[in-house]
Amino acid sequence: MIETRLAHHSDASCSTNSARTRASAKRGARILAFGLLLLALADCRPKRAKEDEKGSVFPRAETFYLGGRQWGEPSTFNPIGTPGWPISTMNLLYETLLLYNSLDGRMQPLLAESYAVHDASVEVTLNPAARWNDGRPVSGGDVTFTFGLGQKFKSLNIAPIWQYLSSVRAYDKDGRVATDANIGQDYPRRVVFELNPERKNPLVVLDALQAQIIVPRHVIEPLLAERDNNLDEFKKLKFEQGAVSSGPYRLFSSSSEKIAVVRDDGYWGNAALHGGKKPAPKYIVHPLYKSNDAFSVALRQGRLDISTTFVPRIWLKAEKGVRSWLDREPYFLSSSIPMLLVNHKRAPLMDVHLRRAMAFAINYNDIRELSVSGYSEPLRPGIILPFGLERRFFSEEDAKKYGTWFDPERAKAELAAGGYSAVFGPRGELVETRDRDGKRVPTLYVKSPTGWTDWESIVRIAVKSMRGAGIDVRERFVETSVFWNALYEGDFDLIMHTPSTQPSPSKPWSRFEALLTSRDFVPLGQRMYKNIGRFNDPHAPGYEPRIDKLLALIPTLTDEGARLGAYRELNAIFMREQPYLPLVYRPDTFYEFSIKHWSNLPSAENPYLPPLIPGDRLGTNMLWAITPVSN
Amino acid sequence: MLKNHPTLTYIAGRASWYVVTFFVAITVNFFLPRLGDANPVDTIMAKVSEGLDATSAKAKEEAYLKEFDLVEVEPSGKVKRDAQGRPVRTSLGHQFINYLGMSVRLDLGSSILQHPKRVSEIIKAALPWTLALQLPTIVLGWLIGNGLGALAAYRRGVFDKLMYPLALLASAIPAFCFGMLLVYVFGIRLEWFPAVGGYDDGLTPELSFSFFRSASYYYVLPFFSVFSIVVGGQAIGMRSMCIYELGTDYVKYAKLLGISESKILLYMFRNAMLPQLTGLALALGSMVAGALIAEMIFSYPGLGMAVLTAIQGNDYPLISGCTLLVTVCVLCANFSVDVLVGFLDPRIRAARQTGN
Repeated sequence: MIETRLAHHSDASCSTNSARTRASAKRGARILAFGLLLLALADCRPKRAKEDEKGSVFPRAETFYLGGRQWGEPSTFNPIGTPGWPISTMNLLYETLLLYNSLDGRMQPLLAESYAVHDASVEVTLNPAARWNDGRPVSGGDVTFTFGLGQKFKSLNIAPIWQYLSSVRAYDKDGRVATDANIGQDYPRRVVFELNPERKNPLVVLDALQAQIIVPRHVIEPLLAERDNNLDEFKKLKFEQGAVSSGPYRLFSSSSEKIAVVRDDGYWGNAALHGGKKPAPKYIVHPLYKSNDAFSVALRQGRLDISTTFVPRIWLKAEKGVRSWLDREPYFLSSSIPMLLVNHKRAPLMDVHLRRAMAFAINYNDIRELSVSGYSEPLRPGIILPFGLERRFFSEEDAKKYGTWFDPERAKAELAAGGYSAVFGPRGELVETRDRDGKRVPTLYVKSPTGWTDWESIVRIAVKSMRGAGIDVRERFVETSVFWNALYEGDFDLIMHTPSTQPSPSKPWSRFEALLTSRDFVPLGQRMYKNIGRFNDPHAPGYEPRIDKLLALIPTLTDEGARLGAYRELNAIFMREQPYLPLVYRPDTFYEFSIKHWSNLPSAENPYLPPLIPGDRLGTNMLWAITPVSN
Repeated sequence: MLKNHPTLTYIAGRASWYVVTFFVAITVNFFLPRLGDANPVDTIMAKVSEGLDATSAKAKEEAYLKEFDLVEVEPSGKVKRDAQGRPVRTSLGHQFINYLGMSVRLDLGSSILQHPKRVSEIIKAALPWTLALQLPTIVLGWLIGNGLGALAAYRRGVFDKLMYPLALLASAIPAFCFGMLLVYVFGIRLEWFPAVGGYDDGLTPELSFSFFRSASYYYVLPFFSVFSIVVGGQAIGMRSMCIYELGTDYVKYAKLLGISESKILLYMFRNAMLPQLTGLALALGSMVAGALIAEMIFSYPGLGMAVLTAIQGNDYPLISGCTLLVTVCVLCANFSVDVLVGFLDPRIRAARQTGN
């Protein structure tokens, strides 16, 4: 507004001024004004005629625009490298065996038509209709090859599953193990994942079945062999065009502004899984905008149909046709818990009184309302989500008995119980915290990446409320790259982190495992990717073996009652010990959509699929259900 | 032989300084990003390590370190390890020698964060957008800004009284602020212009009328966000230069002689322009670094964002590649101005001749 007003003034004054001055300047000013006017007109012209789509490669009615899964042009589409969208999020190009529905906890078929969990194995049977886009069947050989890559190359993401597996074998229709020689000829469809008896855990195997894309053995194996099985060399192949995959779309184009995939009308699943229907959009385009705001603007202008980016105050965008999963608070379905990790190897943080005092001191409601736009259910004690599928494991009774919540008085009581005292200045500001011996406790720093504004705000609120309770903490925002190093090597007092976020069959077990396991325990300075704060050191005197026992036990339990008991016990230990400080609930990915160009997208009112965008696991299935808005 | 050619001596003298500057600059380019605490592999690991156990994470990390030449490798192809079993990092000196060799051959290597993409590919894709946004804004902005500045200084009166504060405002308003204002007013409120992107999402870059039309439509807001700032800055600079020139004897003399105003203006312009010319050269040289703020606010394609993400992720080869490009361009632009000014500025010409 200011700009237009100023421009107007200057125009007016120019003309009055020039009237007074001599002829040459008058002419100059006129020419200038005329030039500017011309420029403005020239600039305004084309936009009026913009709505027609002449020359458009992607007709609007046949194109579905989505955003938020990729920042910057992907460097490769190699399914074994570190590919970007659409391969990184699955099921548009390459497919998984199963699809997990986080709303009902069930697995849905994809490449596999069925699966079964046995005592010592997990078994899948492939859909006989499943085909690669070169017409060859997706066979048990492809599955054993894909998983076998993880056994051969330890740096691949599929490698860790081999701690839990002893073998992956394909069986032909006569029940014989399919050897390399007969794979591909009589086409084995049954694949058995033998569990490692030392570390029996069907949950992580199920996780892998719905997360690992299957790659075509007949393409990848020869390419690897040509390179003497040198993975580094293989990763240099970019698989840009004409790649053999099994999914409903193929790569169409990729640039630094957008990635586009085009429908493969010969997709096997159209007939086998979707009753002969084709996915509605011919093209799916992921524009590569450079900031969250850009996605947000594009969404409200209807240029984008769906996005997983953070859109602040989403309720204000409703009039522009922007919707989220829920149309009221908390708007999204939470599945992860951002928290402060505590370094148990740095004094005085190994003191449970101090940790519990911190947990009682933090104003969680402020965090929920001010830092995350209210996109979170109120925080409850422990690390089991008190809603959704996990609610059955949550115990209200335990939460009351052992839990922590915002209560400054209890925070002070915990501090007193630990022998701490706080020294406040004349204006009520905290000067220092003293321990039992009256010595000053060094200031504790909360690390968080600089520029992650939601986390910065969460940390500020947490620090403010802890200081109010008499705990000497301060925020320290660091460069992102420095942050990661500090996190894994344990170079922090307290640090922001969200452990194990994706909804998957192994939840909430994998969240407990990511936070509490004492396996692979290493000292500070070396890297730990789970239990990063080094809680419950197995080599230290106070080691509590019960935690690791429960973590090993839960995945093997089949009885619901026993599982409930085990989760309850583990969560109670977490609440009593408060090894880390959960702060708020957040969705794994956000989910906002525009109703301008496509209808029948899943939402809480129409929950035929969980809130996932197409090309993100089960979210892909919405492509067969949505319809273009005709106007 | 050179002694007899003052011009050649002058150029050779300047050139040798530029060679020295070049080597200092690329040394700084190499060491600055590597002085920090972190390395690019940490950034990658953060993205890919969810769900990994310690052994796989370690294997993965070492695979990356090896791939990017950040660790010493034994002849057998295995990573060299110290007594504690940790990989031995390639020494900075060793890396520097590699880097120098590559820089001289103009080989920029491949990016780390966007591995296996070549740095030259990334620059090639982004540079046209950057040039298309920057070159016209800088050149047009410079011409119009200087014209307005000179006019204001000469005319004074109401025109100056209005032009000067406006120019001050234009040059002083932070680029991000002005850009956001443009997006908000013209992109979101009035919806006259698109708020994000370089061209319609439904198109792909090609030599066609519809693409060109779309690209020019999307060009308007980013253009003005940079343009007005350049105009403002140049106008202020030129205005003060001209006011200074107006007080000089030659202008008074020319006025007394009754020489026409436009001619006097031209004399003045030529003298006042010299420092502005240097400014233009610098701006042209450094424009390849990209208009980061315009790129971010309008999600406009270009190099600025590539540089920013490279710096954030410690993508050494990409940082070095971009800074090398900037270095070369700035030095070339400066060098040509040095030579040009040598010819244009009678004072330098005279100094050179008396010096011999």
